[in-house]
Amino acid sequence: MAEKVQLFVNGQEVEVEAGKNLIDAFGAIGVKIPHLCYHPALGADGNCRMCLVGIEDGRPPIVPACKTKVAAGMKVQLDTEKIKKIQRDIMEFELINHPIDCPVCDQAGECKLQDYYMKYDGQPSRMTVKQVLKSKQMDFGCGVVHDQERCVLCARCVRFTRLITKTGELGIVNRTDAARVTIFPGRPLHNRYALNVVDLCPVGAMTSRDFRFKQRAWFLTRSASICQGCSKGCNIFIDHNREKYKDDIIYRYRPRRNQLVNGYFMCDAGRMTYKGENDDRLLTPQVDGRAASLDEAIETVRRAISEAKKIAMLVSPNASLEQMYAIQRFAAAIDAALSGYSDGCVMAGDGDGWLIQDDKSANRASFALLNIDASKAGFAAAVSGADLVLNFLNDLDRSLGEDDLTQLPATAHLVSLASSLTACVARSAVALPVASYSEDAGSLVNCDGRLQRYEAAVLKNQPLKSLIEVTRLLGGSVRNIQEARAGLQTAVAVLNDVDLERIPADGIALTASEVAHVAA
Amino acid sequence: MGAKAKIMERTGKSFYERLYLIEIFKGMAVTLGHFMTNFLDNSKLYVRHYPEVQPEIPARWRGRHRLTKHEDGTMKCVACFMCQTNCPAKCIMIEAGERIDGRSEKMPVRFTIDLLECIYCGYCVEACPMDAIRMDTGIFAVTGADRQSFVMGLTALLATPGAYTEEEYKKGGV
Repeated sequence: MAEKVQLFVNGQEVEVEAGKNLIDAFGAIGVKIPHLCYHPALGADGNCRMCLVGIEDGRPPIVPACKTKVAAGMKVQLDTEKIKKIQRDIMEFELINHPIDCPVCDQAGECKLQDYYMKYDGQPSRMTVKQVLKSKQMDFGCGVVHDQERCVLCARCVRFTRLITKTGELGIVNRTDAARVTIFPGRPLHNRYALNVVDLCPVGAMTSRDFRFKQRAWFLTRSASICQGCSKGCNIFIDHNREKYKDDIIYRYRPRRNQLVNGYFMCDAGRMTYKGENDDRLLTPQVDGRAASLDEAIETVRRAISEAKKIAMLVSPNASLEQMYAIQRFAAAIDAALSGYSDGCVMAGDGDGWLIQDDKSANRASFALLNIDASKAGFAAAVSGADLVLNFLNDLDRSLGEDDLTQLPATAHLVSLASSLTACVARSAVALPVASYSEDAGSLVNCDGRLQRYEAAVLKNQPLKSLIEVTRLLGGSVRNIQEARAGLQTAVAVLNDVDLERIPADGIALTASEVAHVAA
Repeated sequence: MGAKAKIMERTGKSFYERLYLIEIFKGMAVTLGHFMTNFLDNSKLYVRHYPEVQPEIPARWRGRHRLTKHEDGTMKCVACFMCQTNCPAKCIMIEAGERIDGRSEKMPVRFTIDLLECIYCGYCVEACPMDAIRMDTGIFAVTGADRQSFVMGLTALLATPGAYTEEEYKKGGV
């Protein structure tokens, strides 16, 4: 554990982690210091002055908490009249030119300015002069809409483009009440992480074109999950809501802090993958292109399995570890050749070495754990001569070119278990809908070998069966996810000491030392 | 109850009253008397000839809702969802979109009130920061042949005018 120091807050002795600034150190023990410009990922800037705290017998007696490191014996005052007056005055300054258009502002409900006004200010405006008018609804590019009037000039967005993406598209021009955040003329935001400025903005100055006006923040249920847009496995919140008479719909993904994976951020492409969870879903079972009942479709597939001479099975690298295990056991039981061929998921050269990875599948690392072959040769061997191909979530069309499609024997039955309606599913003889990752639980191993777990977030009005359940109906031996987890623990050497039901929030690196450490 | 309670003396104990039929006929006579009076002159009846004669509705009456407009005819509603958030009956359903009439930036694309679900509590009117929704149409009886006709849409809510002048409404009636 990190070193601790003793100090005083409002006269009470507390013990906090050494080496941190006051905001972070006190935040960890539940004492909040208001701040607008400070963000742990962007460092202290000290421009908003909202975090000023008193130091008893200190020189200087009032310091910005974001720039002050904790020291032993320090006597920090957060609730003296002087500090309260400073906070009230800063809020009054911030609100001088603020348009207070909360009714039309998307940030309402998760706005620092609203929260701090209620907590630290609460007084009517004393201004009698006209407010300074600035530009509204500016298109900053990459789906970011900027409102200069709402801006508090904390410069979080500016620092993000300078320090994190190193692209520096944003800057603050002019001074005093003419100061505003803007882009250089004709040079809009142009980076693959631009939408993070929407999350970073403590007020409603930065809004997302995609999410704009779709929902009010207080209607949304936020469920922790893992982004499955690429193999990085960024931690996210799935913000979803079931409107009256409608279905549970996902409205946005937001990054969830995990210092060991994605920090505070996620990429724009991953953010938009929520659309695949809402739209173009396979909802009804299909037999020979027509809608059928689940029983009929299952019966058709079971008959095909019993009659087939050679069965090939395809598994997607997006399937969870538990799903892969259930599929592998099923393949062994019916003596099918299992392949994880999915080269189409890899976009070579697309990764940037930070969050975006070449491999756009979420769980390819689990292939290695379960010894599932993903080579093209293995796939060709598996399907040659096969008269039944069972496809589990794998979007084959992404991997196979036009000429390669002939590799699938023309006479072979193609059976797809899928959550979204792809071209591959459309030409399957039988298509069985299964729950998607936002509606199902599971574990993933990311590109760095970190095992992470996600829970079901969305509950549809008509929930689809999970892949493990459908596999069970087809004749698989694994009954449910708990059984798959128990099986994995014994079958996979590296998971022997890992309790898949209790993976820590930060995930667990599948290296001998960390597994032993967490297990102990 | 308290101090104003009046204790009534119980009757019906005397001999004549216990004979029962005499009292019945006395009562019938009263009814017949009223019938004859009203039959010959019905102008003194204590009932209102509804629906020919409509009641006077005070300005504070919470009638059917309407959406108000600015002087230039644009709607005041900015789709802030305050009424929907505040609605205890969850009968308001809004869908927001970009504003196209030149005012601020947000407006409702759909604004639906299900009058069969509405409990006419007036919380939506209280919650509205823009004075965009009011219950001052003076419409106190909504009729319809099917359920769908009770679902008010954006155009219907905007089309209904208020029944009172601005002064009357602000004053809250007499």
